[in-house]
Amino acid sequence: MNTRNSGAGGKKDLGEVIVITSGKGGVGKTTTTASLGAALALRGQRTLVVDADIGLRNLDVILGLENRIVFNLVDVAKKICKPSQAIIKSKKSNNLFLLPASQTDDKDVIDEAEVRYVLDQFRREFHYILVDSPAGIEQGFRNACAGADSAIVVTTPEVSAIRDADRVVGLLSSKGIEARLIINRIDFDMVRRGDMLSVRDVQDILGVEILGVIERDEQIIVAANCGEPVTYNPKSKAGQAFTRIAGRVCGEPIPIPNLAGGSLWDRLTRKLGVST
Amino acid sequence: MFNTLKRKLFGDNSESKAVAKSRLHFVLVQDRTGLTNEEMAGFREEMVKVIEKYFVIDKEGFDIKYHRLADTTTLLINSPVIVRRVGSPTPNSIPVTMDEPEGAAASNI
Repeated sequence: MNTRNSGAGGKKDLGEVIVITSGKGGVGKTTTTASLGAALALRGQRTLVVDADIGLRNLDVILGLENRIVFNLVDVAKKICKPSQAIIKSKKSNNLFLLPASQTDDKDVIDEAEVRYVLDQFRREFHYILVDSPAGIEQGFRNACAGADSAIVVTTPEVSAIRDADRVVGLLSSKGIEARLIINRIDFDMVRRGDMLSVRDVQDILGVEILGVIERDEQIIVAANCGEPVTYNPKSKAGQAFTRIAGRVCGEPIPIPNLAGGSLWDRLTRKLGVST
Repeated sequence: MFNTLKRKLFGDNSESKAVAKSRLHFVLVQDRTGLTNEEMAGFREEMVKVIEKYFVIDKEGFDIKYHRLADTTTLLINSPVIVRRVGSPTPNSIPVTMDEPEGAAASNI
């Protein structure tokens, strides 16, 4: 059941494959993949980010590598090129590489066995392989999950995103893939006003371990505009959050700030018996 | 801050978060079980009937939850019991004995 530990801890020579997924589109899967990949690379972990969104690729743009693509995931799967020819080194780090998606194919041009084959070509070369899943729960999602040792489910504190996240957690569980949660775009002012679900609310509803919490941050847009992951901006709260998440992925016991103690206001209201 | 305080102190329940929570609770029960609204209502009704056969319960407080942990989903049925029905005639006159001796069970509550 615990495939994550057997994948990374058991055999040090094989990299750990983590699928980044969400069900709902537009919640921040690609941003998370790029930013977490950059944060892992900064820690000295050789990291490959894979764009599994065939036909609608975007990870290349977020990483600013769109004009360097020659081959892609489908080319490796169909053995049109050597695996090493398809991956692109990031501009900022010698440890971060991208395997882009094909932009001209359909999602069902490859199957799960072919994805497993592709991942196996890179497992010995990298410590971490992050697979950016397309939205939805169809073939593209199934492909992205193939060969994954564990999953990161990205959600926002909204009804529709949480509902889809719940569905995806169920599907992952039926595949024997353990999921951890990233809550993206949380606004703590709104949480305090009672107009947004809190970190604890989301955890209670979904019943999944929280891997990290990302505050709503304008710098994510700025970073996307420039094609540089927000992780490289030390002033960005989102960037700092991704750095902490990378630490947790590597096994460091970094507490989730807004889960354990909560803010002074949260603790006060809890003490007064006011449900928040 | 003051609005929050005011809302909390005077029990104004207009927090949209509470609405979100109850809507999610509703929709996730449907998603997780695959039961329709009617089926859920039917299940609830039958559960209440079964429990009422043996206990007097607070129907308002009756609640069914689907709680998911790492790899299992648990059905949690929360039914506040007002009084044990042991000793009083049950609809089918089934003698009910729980884990305690009859004398203790029949004590007035």
